Amino acid sequence: MVKEKGESVEQQVGRRDILAKIASAVFASLVAPAVLSETAQAATEQQPTQQTPKLPELPPPKPDEDPLIRMMRDLQRALKKPLEKRRWVMVIDLRKCVGCKACTVACIVENKLPPSVVYRPVLEEEIGKYPRVTLRFLPRPCLQCDNPPCTPVCPVKATWKRPDGIVVIDYEACIGCRYCITACPYGARSFDFGDYYTEGTPEIAPVEKAPSFEYHRTWERKGNESPIGNARKCHFCLHLIERGLLPQCVTTCIGRATYFGDANDPESLVSELINKPNAFRLKEDLGTEPKVYYLI
Amino acid sequence: MQATTLPITLPRWAKPAYYVVVGFLSLVGVVAVLVRLIYGMKVTALTSPIPWGMWVVIYIYFIGLSVGSFLMSTLVYVFGMHRYEKVGRMALLSALFALFGGMLFIWIDLGHPERFWYIFTRWSPTSVLAWECFFYLFYIVAILCKLWFLMRCDLASLAESSEGWRATFYRFVSLGFRCPKTASEWQRCHAQSMRVVRTIGIIGIPIAIAVRGGTGAIFAVVAAKPYWYTALFPIIFLVSALASGAALMAFLYAFFGKRDEDYPEIVKGMANFALLFLTIDMLLMAAEFLVGFYGRIPEHLEVYRQILFGPFPYTFWLGQLFFGTILPVTLISWKRTRQSVFWLGVAGLSAVVGIVAVWLNLVIPALVVPVLKGLDKAFFQPRWSFYYFPSFWEWASTVGLIALIVLGFSIAYELLPVFGIVEEKFSGGER
Repeated sequence: MVKEKGESVEQQVGRRDILAKIASAVFASLVAPAVLSETAQAATEQQPTQQTPKLPELPPPKPDEDPLIRMMRDLQRALKKPLEKRRWVMVIDLRKCVGCKACTVACIVENKLPPSVVYRPVLEEEIGKYPRVTLRFLPRPCLQCDNPPCTPVCPVKATWKRPDGIVVIDYEACIGCRYCITACPYGARSFDFGDYYTEGTPEIAPVEKAPSFEYHRTWERKGNESPIGNARKCHFCLHLIERGLLPQCVTTCIGRATYFGDANDPESLVSELINKPNAFRLKEDLGTEPKVYYLI
Repeated sequence: MQATTLPITLPRWAKPAYYVVVGFLSLVGVVAVLVRLIYGMKVTALTSPIPWGMWVVIYIYFIGLSVGSFLMSTLVYVFGMHRYEKVGRMALLSALFALFGGMLFIWIDLGHPERFWYIFTRWSPTSVLAWECFFYLFYIVAILCKLWFLMRCDLASLAESSEGWRATFYRFVSLGFRCPKTASEWQRCHAQSMRVVRTIGIIGIPIAIAVRGGTGAIFAVVAAKPYWYTALFPIIFLVSALASGAALMAFLYAFFGKRDEDYPEIVKGMANFALLFLTIDMLLMAAEFLVGFYGRIPEHLEVYRQILFGPFPYTFWLGQLFFGTILPVTLISWKRTRQSVFWLGVAGLSAVVGIVAVWLNLVIPALVVPVLKGLDKAFFQPRWSFYYFPSFWEWASTVGLIALIVLGFSIAYELLPVFGIVEEKFSGGER
């Protein structure tokens, strides 16, 4: 009865309404990090639980919905599972990437990255010779290897792979020896030297001093305090995904070229994408088993 | 056979002038370190892709000098080459100060120097670097024990014979050890000391090899860098360390050794060891280069291109090849110069300085080559540059801290009985 009623209601609302609803959901997912970040400080005071406090509300499923909505739904499903049952992967469709670098910038803004740190640069490769020339863009987040070369080298156990596969750094424990940076075969780790983009100007832009919320905590940039003096890396926006939001690079991608989700869930969009012959991973010969897949 | 002893006599003002210069440079070093501690790592020219620079190079250089010197001292105390007896304590003293130097450089290189002790409280068995620091503990204990047992009789006698602060100092470092009064008492004491020193020396050999091989292994285990990822790396580290240790001894003994009948032979012996290890080092390097070239892995080849024709080719051609190898090898083996203590000392100095270039070329070029094609053009920020030249503060701290270590060594060299005193008194007649 209830189901029937639901369907009939949906039939009644027009196409325009549904579009508006989807648009508002997409918009919500874009602004939500900003809204949530205000409450994040309060949340860190409580223990950072694995359960998401309040997941964003999503419109009912629809066959040709925006992949962002689909992925958020996948995400919410994954969050209901225990941590070790999740397997976060990212899929980047190189055919869709136009090299706008919006992901690089969104990541810098989200994590308040200083000039020495970049979590997701976009590599460019020129193919062919003029006039028959084309560019290939390859965004490179941390590949969150299943067999990461960067973690065993750490002398103080400050970096490790979480049960859900994300390689994290404990800024409070990292002594800043930078061994992990040299050990990464993908150059995915950077060092926070404590610089500012607006250094040398009359005032350091307040946005650069704004705290970041990495690892469900507030990190103020002052003096030589962590994360300054630490190795830093992409963490798939752990602080967002555990609140039911997609990583900032995924949300911001104008061509929907980046996908994110739980590879352990056969229903998820990423599972559909990575189980195809056109998926490849970087430097697979090293046995690092990256969890970022590229589609060609 | 006999080497001509050049009368290396220095003018009277040389010593005070030396202390003024070295003291001033040390002061510069202290200021530079303070600047680095206050302003953080941003005073360096390091970048995220090239996170290891000058300080790491000098760190491995000093560890090399330390292990090289230590192993040279085992020639005397373990392998019984008693004709080099007089080098023994000097070698151990330089091993100690070089180790301090290494520690100092890697300490200021940490992003969070205040957390250095985490390495012991959060020790990770999977990290070569963690093992390395673990070995340092044993190593420093081995050096200190060896030095103390070697010097205890002399220190005790100095504590009795000197006055004022010196007496206090000697009493403190002799740890209350009493000086033997008679020849037979001394004989017994000496025999006991030598037994202990020999035992520590034997235990010290694997520790020193672990320390040095471990430093090489820090790099060798990084599969991400084909240039580092070779089993020859720890061996090259060890052999280069031995070469630098022997060369340092040749230099130190030629210019500051004890001028007696053994003097030329000791310098010659040390220089010959330097020659031996420099030659083996050359062979290993050649093997490494040839295999690398033949393998033609692009990132590997690119490293060689950087070394030979990159932005700093003189590091290789002038530093590593000329001062580090050709000049010392020629001076030690050429008929005209090998008889002269002076030139052997110069050969030692040349190798000691030139070997810095070896370490520079082992560390930095591997980082200059992007691990992914296009990574160097993916993000345009000065701190994301694949070019590295040390900053002013890096130079200042490097020169200054080296001066500080040299100053410490010089003071210790003057204060401590580097050459036996009591031994002369009791056994002077026999020898």
